[in-house]
Amino acid sequence: MPVFKTPFNGYAVRFSPFYEGRLLVATSQNFGILGNGRLHVLDIDPASGAIAEIRSFETADGIYDCAWSESHDSLAIAAVADGSVKLWDASLPPTANPVRSLHEHSREVHSTDWNPVRRDSFLTASWDDSVKLWTLDRPSSVRTFREHSYCVYAATWSPRHADVFASASGDRTARVWDVRDPRSTLVLPAHDHEILSCDWNKYDECSLATASVDKSVRVWDVRVPRAPVANLAGHGYAVRKVKFSPHRESILLSCSYDMTVCMWDYRAEDALIARYDHHTEFVVGVDMSVLVEGLLASTGWDELVYVWQHGTDPRAMP
Amino acid sequence: MRDLVTGGAACAVPGTSSPSNPFGALANAILGSSSKAQELKGLPETSVNVPGSSSDFRPEAPLTTIPGSEYGNQQHQQLDAWNSDFLYGFRSANHGLEDAWDEIHRPPILPHAQGRESESHLAEFEQIYDHSGSSVLQPTWDGPPQRVLSSFLHSFVDSGRTGIPFRPVVQPVLGLSEGDKQCIRDRSCIMARHIFVDKSEEYISAQVNALLHSLDIDSDHRIRGPMHEPFPELEEYWNKSQSGLKSGMLNSADGWVTEFNQQRENGDPEAWAYSFEELHGTDGWASEFEKEQSQMESFGQIRGGNMSNISAMEQSRMLAHALAQNTDPKFQNSKFLQFVSKMSRGELIVDENQIKPATGSISADWADEYQTQYNFRPNSWADQFTHEQLSQGMDKFATEHQQQGVDDQWVDEFSKLHVQDWAEEFGQQVSEGALGENSADNWADAYDEYLDEQVLASKQQSNTSSRVYVFSDMNPYVGHPNPLKEGQELFHKGLLSEAVLALEAEVLKNPDNAEGWRLLGITHAENDDDQQAIASMMRAQEVDPTNLEVLLALGVSHTNELDQAEALKFLYKWLQNHPKYGALTPHEPVDSLYYANVARLVNEASQMSPEDADIHIVLGVLYNLSREYDKAIESFKTALKLKPHDYSLWNKLGATQANSIQSADAILAYQQALDLKPNYVRAWANMGISYANQGLHEESIRYYVRALSMNPKGDNSWQYLRISLSFASRNDMFEACDSRNLDVLQKEFPL
Repeated sequence: MPVFKTPFNGYAVRFSPFYEGRLLVATSQNFGILGNGRLHVLDIDPASGAIAEIRSFETADGIYDCAWSESHDSLAIAAVADGSVKLWDASLPPTANPVRSLHEHSREVHSTDWNPVRRDSFLTASWDDSVKLWTLDRPSSVRTFREHSYCVYAATWSPRHADVFASASGDRTARVWDVRDPRSTLVLPAHDHEILSCDWNKYDECSLATASVDKSVRVWDVRVPRAPVANLAGHGYAVRKVKFSPHRESILLSCSYDMTVCMWDYRAEDALIARYDHHTEFVVGVDMSVLVEGLLASTGWDELVYVWQHGTDPRAMP
Repeated sequence: MRDLVTGGAACAVPGTSSPSNPFGALANAILGSSSKAQELKGLPETSVNVPGSSSDFRPEAPLTTIPGSEYGNQQHQQLDAWNSDFLYGFRSANHGLEDAWDEIHRPPILPHAQGRESESHLAEFEQIYDHSGSSVLQPTWDGPPQRVLSSFLHSFVDSGRTGIPFRPVVQPVLGLSEGDKQCIRDRSCIMARHIFVDKSEEYISAQVNALLHSLDIDSDHRIRGPMHEPFPELEEYWNKSQSGLKSGMLNSADGWVTEFNQQRENGDPEAWAYSFEELHGTDGWASEFEKEQSQMESFGQIRGGNMSNISAMEQSRMLAHALAQNTDPKFQNSKFLQFVSKMSRGELIVDENQIKPATGSISADWADEYQTQYNFRPNSWADQFTHEQLSQGMDKFATEHQQQGVDDQWVDEFSKLHVQDWAEEFGQQVSEGALGENSADNWADAYDEYLDEQVLASKQQSNTSSRVYVFSDMNPYVGHPNPLKEGQELFHKGLLSEAVLALEAEVLKNPDNAEGWRLLGITHAENDDDQQAIASMMRAQEVDPTNLEVLLALGVSHTNELDQAEALKFLYKWLQNHPKYGALTPHEPVDSLYYANVARLVNEASQMSPEDADIHIVLGVLYNLSREYDKAIESFKTALKLKPHDYSLWNKLGATQANSIQSADAILAYQQALDLKPNYVRAWANMGISYANQGLHEESIRYYVRALSMNPKGDNSWQYLRISLSFASRNDMFEACDSRNLDVLQKEFPL
């Protein structure tokens, strides 16, 4: 399946919710420690299967995460390491971009997520310990959620409730929030180490997955926060991102500093369904296509973006 | 000239340092010492593991909606269930949502939103596209510093892959701004906590500090620590989880964290750093100190520099340890980790904003580095303190250290001074409290460990310089499921350097595997690396004191080293432990052995079972020890009749013949060995020695080059090659030899 080489180290990859073969890739120079960032809009040619770049946008600092708008097919957000949040319109040339640059976070913005229900709003999570809620029509954030006591690495909307989101932090907790309430609704001490990612089950509104530096992915029923529903062990280093499948209730995809991408069925006896070790550096970004079942994408610090169908070798060329 | 060179379980003379070896001394005099080339291996094959009929997904009609929207209908019923269970704070979506989003527009609740109310509302999304205001593209950071850092990083990475030592052609100037440094500092700190999860907090901060030190970035008073600020409802969880942590983790940092938090509650996370600077000025410490201590200035700076170097050394040690333990071969090839580790080990240093490969040993470097002024390093507190408290002892220490490097005397003397005590005392004396005890403790700990290490090292040095096994960096076989098997296969294929790495991975994994150590020793011996061969065999013997092959190998090695007592000891032990000959040996303590007695016993044994090739080999080795080469040759020839396919035995014969000035015969013997084992590096090198002994220097060069092309790490062979080049009047190739440029040499001297 196709491969795309980015000039910088990959940080995040997202399938477009509007076009089957379109991807958004966030990258950072020098492993995100120092240097520029670049956001790539990529298209997979349906005939040849090759990946071509449609647009790319540069920032003066690394881009740690990105997300497509759920309302406009060409609009995307970038979470930038300088603390800014930038909105890009891929239909406009680089000179006309970014269409917005929102600078409120005092530290690196590590994650962003577009609200799939109320589609004019998005979240950002930052190393300044806060999560911010933004709407498209406002030049400043509408809410700031400060409760975590260390970096917030991820904030993810519930796929069903316009007001509900979860956050994952280095303070070893995941928290569930309602945007109408300045305090969190639930504090989930989900791991004994920093939590780097979380995601909601797309079919079970009470099911939340967390991924931690402790190498594990855990699945929780937020109504019963005392113990995880499943503890998925198998990664050799910190798990950087976790995603629930948009198509299968019990399927998860995770990527790790152990340089692998793993697919899990958390209900199965042998939870680990597949392990892909095509990357040669830390894998920090994964996504599953909503539009094509089983289509996966990953990116990592080896500066490569892979797109492949589950069950095939990501490195096999078309 | 060169002594008995035996293959298989054998080791030749380590010519570089042994005073009893005139050739070695000559070589040293001519050549000086040479550095080792680094060799990194390519990435092992990776594979996808998808069990069984892996098609968990059937291609179905693609969804055209985004996740979540399809649940619109179900939302009602399901909400009731989960409201009652846990989401007491959530109102039902239907009547709650609009309230909430309206509330957003009401007067602000949160401080940050103050004043926002008055801002005119951008009603239409499309107004975003009116990008006259906020959409100005920021200037991208792409100046010379970025390109330098980037290309520096990449050339470093490439050097790791090609095995050529990293040498920046131009000393780059890294004009890192304060902001850039802050970025590197903060980000590497946070990332390090993700990567080195299994390590202690001290370890992680040491990692980061080493990286920062390399980049000449101030150490950690502004680094963001791990979180320490439990929210009330979480206190219990924290206490639970933290009780499992290493006790030192939080203690060490508590002081400044408390202060940091106080500052932070006042609203400005950076305030602490600023207040530090306000209190002291950016270089307040240093200048204050210099005023007070002007007459002692030079000593003070020496010590200041020494502090940072001590901690750098300590960090290097821990890092090397961690890398050796990494279980994933991919990790050994990670550009990121190689970058960080190379920096941390001080192999690359930034000196006045110039990146340089560190030259020589660290102890040799520190004197130079003192001259680099660390004008306002926080470390300079140490200068002041040590002056007040310990001026005399430290003076002595500094002076001696400067003059002689490490020696036992000052270590003893210094350790009497109770480093820990004075560190505590210092902590009390700091009136501002801005420094806290954290740095004092860390420093003291690091220094203690440094002292221990030095004492240990000097002990090892005095006992024997060749007994410490040195592992390769970046071993791709670490994490291999069965490195021993892999090593055996590589060994049999004759890929000796590769086999060494696999076997090293094996003994790292199973340090008690005598077979692993033994095979590693044999591989090193065949690969013409005597120091390592002896060190491995000693480890094998530690694990399995009665292994006959190991004992024989050690007997041979020590014979090569002209260490008669040791050689006799191992040969005698071999006899003692042999099932057939053990009965011959009286139960004598092995430390009072006489050559004649041992020789007599072995002779008896050889008459007892003349069909045993091994006993003839032992006899041959013994005759080498007494320099009765003719008898030794006879013994080896007898053994060869019994074991004609033992290539190492042919090599032993050749080496003995070479020693008895029968170099022409020796070449025939080596040729036999090479016919049996074409990749037998040692035999190629020995062949070169024999030609050189016959005055055929041009020929000898070709064999040395061949041996080196198979094992570029053969330091002895490089030295012999240089001597032969000199004798052959090929001074034009000295440069290629000194830079170890095998391509040039192979082209010039094909075999």
